[in-house]
Amino acid sequence: MSRAIGFLTRRKGGTGWDWTDVFTFVWLGAAVIIMFGPAFWLVMSSFKSPAQLSEFPPTLLPYEAQAVVVEGYDRPLPLFSVTDDAGTRTLAEVRRVGTVAQMVDPENPGEVQRINIANRTPVRKVGFSWDNYLDPFLRFDFLTYTKNSIFVTVVATLITLLTNSMAAFALSKYEFRGRGFVVVLIIATLMIPLSVILVPLYSIVSGVGLINSLWGVILPTVATPTGVFLLRQYMLTIPDELLEAARMDHASEWQIYWRIVLPLTAPALAVLAIFSVVWRWNDFLWPLIVLSRQEVYTLQVGLNAYAGELNVQWHYLLAMTVITMIPVVLVFIFLQRFITAGIAGTGLK
Amino acid sequence: MGRIQLHDIRKSFGAVDVLKGIDLTIDEGELVVFVGPSGCGKSTLLRMIAGLDKPTAGRVEIDGADVTARSAADRGLAMVFQSYALYPHMTVRANMAFGLQNTRMPKAEIDSRIAEAARMLEIEPLLDRRPGQLSGGQRQRVAIGRAIVRRPTAFLLDEPLSNLDAELRVSMRAELSALHDRLGATMIHVTHDQVEAMTMADRIVVLRAGKVEQVDTPLNLFNRPANLFVAGFIGAPGMNLWAGQARDGSVHLDNGALLPLPVGLHVPDGAVTLGIRPQHLRPQTGGPLRAKVRLIEALGPESVVHADLGAEHGLLAVLPGQPDLARGAVLDLGYDPQSVHVFGADGQRLG
Repeated sequence: MSRAIGFLTRRKGGTGWDWTDVFTFVWLGAAVIIMFGPAFWLVMSSFKSPAQLSEFPPTLLPYEAQAVVVEGYDRPLPLFSVTDDAGTRTLAEVRRVGTVAQMVDPENPGEVQRINIANRTPVRKVGFSWDNYLDPFLRFDFLTYTKNSIFVTVVATLITLLTNSMAAFALSKYEFRGRGFVVVLIIATLMIPLSVILVPLYSIVSGVGLINSLWGVILPTVATPTGVFLLRQYMLTIPDELLEAARMDHASEWQIYWRIVLPLTAPALAVLAIFSVVWRWNDFLWPLIVLSRQEVYTLQVGLNAYAGELNVQWHYLLAMTVITMIPVVLVFIFLQRFITAGIAGTGLK
Repeated sequence: MGRIQLHDIRKSFGAVDVLKGIDLTIDEGELVVFVGPSGCGKSTLLRMIAGLDKPTAGRVEIDGADVTARSAADRGLAMVFQSYALYPHMTVRANMAFGLQNTRMPKAEIDSRIAEAARMLEIEPLLDRRPGQLSGGQRQRVAIGRAIVRRPTAFLLDEPLSNLDAELRVSMRAELSALHDRLGATMIHVTHDQVEAMTMADRIVVLRAGKVEQVDTPLNLFNRPANLFVAGFIGAPGMNLWAGQARDGSVHLDNGALLPLPVGLHVPDGAVTLGIRPQHLRPQTGGPLRAKVRLIEALGPESVVHADLGAEHGLLAVLPGQPDLARGAVLDLGYDPQSVHVFGADGQRLG
């Protein structure tokens, strides 16, 4: 802790404040707000009730109106702090007619007071509406969406790693005529965006009957040029002598790939796995096209359902956005050293 | 088991001929060293024997069977690579077991073989470490151990000592020789270090530019080099080679020196090259060679003298002890005519 404080109050030489210190801290502080502000705002807003979301001016923290059970009334009554000629006191609202509210003192439920609504403010304290999170899972299909998303992400990533590493192995460790051409061809496909091939891809997927199937989301994009290129560049750094030693050791080509090359490519595989997980989890356009039945929606497509044409259910949308962010954030927190090491290792920028 | 025969092995990479027809027989239990300057094709030749590369033409036979078309795995050979090529993600034990597991050997047999090899190479405490945690010498031993457990018909060693420091190299050299004696297996050792070749080999194969220059025992190579290349390549410091004219049993150098030839050696008159090892030159008052000292390297027990013999010839002499010489001194040297090597105009040995 003292080290953290020492770090945060570190200054340029000496003990006094140099203008560069001030500038640096202002600059860094601004950067922190710009980077984390929106995310923090999103998380905080996801705990607000629909009424509070539409409030102006907005509050940073989520609040809940306080309510109290008063003798003689069935429902809990909302509490208000009232300031008028009679002084400041806390009353519960029974009903409201125009600008006048009928209120009772919870201590003295018999006497009804008439209060101008201009003289009162709701009593609130910080509170989180967990229902924003629970409802989509309990009352809507978000549990299914989450399962679908996890299935797509995990299976697609595994297949991507397998196919890409096999292609990369062949392209990096075998000499054959036209190898360079194949590599260039694969890299050239990087220049073709998905939107260009969307229509033909759709007719293929539809032709093989994979519309409304999670496999229709997974299969068309398991072979990625970036992945092949990244793994190939890494595999080129594995010395050929290792493969030759394995060949002398009676290893078949499959064993060389599976037991020698693949374990040694682990750092690059980790990078590709991270990219694949993040991309698959966040993928929206292709699943939206392929999946049109609720049961097979992924999270991202399901999220879209909350943004109706006329009515956006912001509280659910925000809460589920937070949920969809979590895996990606976790991946980056725990695996970021693989990303930097892996990218540095492959010479890829 | 372990007799390897090469018949007219040729290898070309595109238009470049790397090996130009090599015939060689390596007998069972022999330790043969391939030596030659870099780029002479010695490693390529070893890879042909191993089966890692296919020859453009020619035949490889092991124990009389033609194995030219067989893959490396099916030749029953083991190789130790220059970089050791240990699998970095496996422990030492797994490294040694890998080749045996691939032949579906029972686990008990694998364990006993590893234990035996580990005891022989004194790497028992290292078995559960990974190659990255070992020193160069330890890695070397593991690489050899990986070859031993396979019980191969022959060991192929591709410059196995070149990555070690000088001190370790000397001790590993002795260990490899001892191992060869103990295993009695055929070994082919590739090196560019002639000291390694001289000390370890039963026979040395001197290669140059894809051709075998001479195959013989180390001492025969030293004492009777077949041609100018072998004469210059074997021995340190290198042999003095002077071009001159042979006449009446002597060689006349350009600077007027008259060098006697061994009695009984008939050399036809004409251009020859005369070779004398630096170790065979002795100070001799009135000797046939008169040289001006340029540099003295005092090594303690002996001194290497660099001298000029006339305008264009240099001279190297290894003199015993620490002779009292200074730069610029004029030195008269003589030699025993029996220790002289004479090479004809075509570079081949005469007599």
